[in-house]
Amino acid sequence: MNLKADSADVAFTFKGGMLPMTVMELNSADPEQIRQQLEGKLSQSPAFFQHTPVVLSVEKLDTPHLALERICAVCRDHKLLPVAVRGGTDPVKQSAWALGLGWFAPVEEERARRLASIAAENDSAEEQVPQNAPEEVTESTGARLYRGTVRSGQQVSASNGDLVVIGAVNAGAEVLAAGSIHVYGALRGRALAGIHGNLGAGIYCRELNAELLSVAGNYKRLEDIDARRLGTPAEVHFESEQLEIKPLA
Amino acid sequence: MAKIIVVTSGKGGVGKTTSAAAISTGLALRGKKTVVIDFDVGLRNLDLIMGCERRVVYDLVNVIQGEAGLNQALIRDKRVENLFILPASQTRDKDALTQEGVEEILAKLKEEFDYILCDSPAGIERGAQLAMYFADEAVVVTNPEVSSVRDSDRILGLLASKTRRAERSDAPIKEHLLITRYNPDRVTSGDMLTLDDIREILAIDLLGLIPESEAVLRASNQGVPVTHDAASDAGQAYTDTVSRLLGEDVPLRFHQAQKKGILTRMFGGSRR
Repeated sequence: MNLKADSADVAFTFKGGMLPMTVMELNSADPEQIRQQLEGKLSQSPAFFQHTPVVLSVEKLDTPHLALERICAVCRDHKLLPVAVRGGTDPVKQSAWALGLGWFAPVEEERARRLASIAAENDSAEEQVPQNAPEEVTESTGARLYRGTVRSGQQVSASNGDLVVIGAVNAGAEVLAAGSIHVYGALRGRALAGIHGNLGAGIYCRELNAELLSVAGNYKRLEDIDARRLGTPAEVHFESEQLEIKPLA
Repeated sequence: MAKIIVVTSGKGGVGKTTSAAAISTGLALRGKKTVVIDFDVGLRNLDLIMGCERRVVYDLVNVIQGEAGLNQALIRDKRVENLFILPASQTRDKDALTQEGVEEILAKLKEEFDYILCDSPAGIERGAQLAMYFADEAVVVTNPEVSSVRDSDRILGLLASKTRRAERSDAPIKEHLLITRYNPDRVTSGDMLTLDDIREILAIDLLGLIPESEAVLRASNQGVPVTHDAASDAGQAYTDTVSRLLGEDVPLRFHQAQKKGILTRMFGGSRR
């Protein structure tokens, strides 16, 4: 805070912020199907549906036109607040704007394709050439290195890639990354990896005492963590629909 | 060149004012011309601890608002030469402090003094931020308990981001850890955090360790900084702290539980 700033002079200030955001990845464009699934989820975990802001990701859909207005209405009926759309064709972008929603470019596209290709062990020359070029860009701009202790009340984030902390993350501090989080020290605060929905992200630390661990929105609180893992080197991944905490071997 | 040292903690009641009084007294006893400023506008305590509450005429806010000169507001300590107190206002609130006003006062004091100690109020609001804003060094006072350590951690984050040195990207503020109310017996029994726990979490240099002591309470109530009580453990610990602040290498004392002799156990005597 600049102590000189007279709050009466400025109506507002712009600040960069990293907020955890739920991404709703649509596999179907059928509003009815979405409605049915939402009704099921709503009965399971009503606490989640509290006018929760969501980003509708339509990257997986092939349809050039979407009944975006109806999908949004279904979401609102179930106390989800669509705030933006990610991916999709130009008409989708136009209709998102018309509905007062933001539009994001499909950021995960390259990454997802690369991971998929590794999983399939597909190393044909055709796939590899386009894959190498963007990877270099990601590496030079994505990862963020932070040296020192992340202290209570501080937030350190890497919005494009991995976050590497050489030091401890203390209780009351928060570290966030689009990719994985590596803490070369004690992790006592909150760590949120894969904040843009990357389920392949992980959290690694030398001493696990985290208040909260989250990978792509799937979280565990300190209370939920197996006591045997506390205070030891650990890695955290999203596996078989839940967060798995394993000794860092 | 005068050094500005802020004594801060985040949490209240951990011993900031006691430490500010004791350290400034120690510095003056070592021949350094020292002034200690109470930034706790509205809840002034420093004058009580220093035993000069009956001699307060003008205060920090009066000086900032131009109602009194700096020399009129400075109170000369009766016990030590070279020691002055600039009290806080009891009747104003913290909004009466301005950054420009504080800067001006500190600039004037810098011409005359070797050490300027700023006794910060608790919290992380305006008063605390002003007390630390111009500092060269910081003494972070921490009790061996979880909430105090966390608040100190928060303060350390602010020292690294919301001070003039941070904003100008100058050399960072030199941070010192001062642990107060340390009771080795209660540490051994697990009621308190250990010295190593605290150092590991806060990861800054240890300046001193003050044992929990009746001497501190007595000193506060009598209005005599505990440094004057050279026979007491707390007084000696503050003297060691001051030596370290002056760059001397002094071994750490009072951090291990004392073995009780048969007489102490029989008569329940406690250390002075």
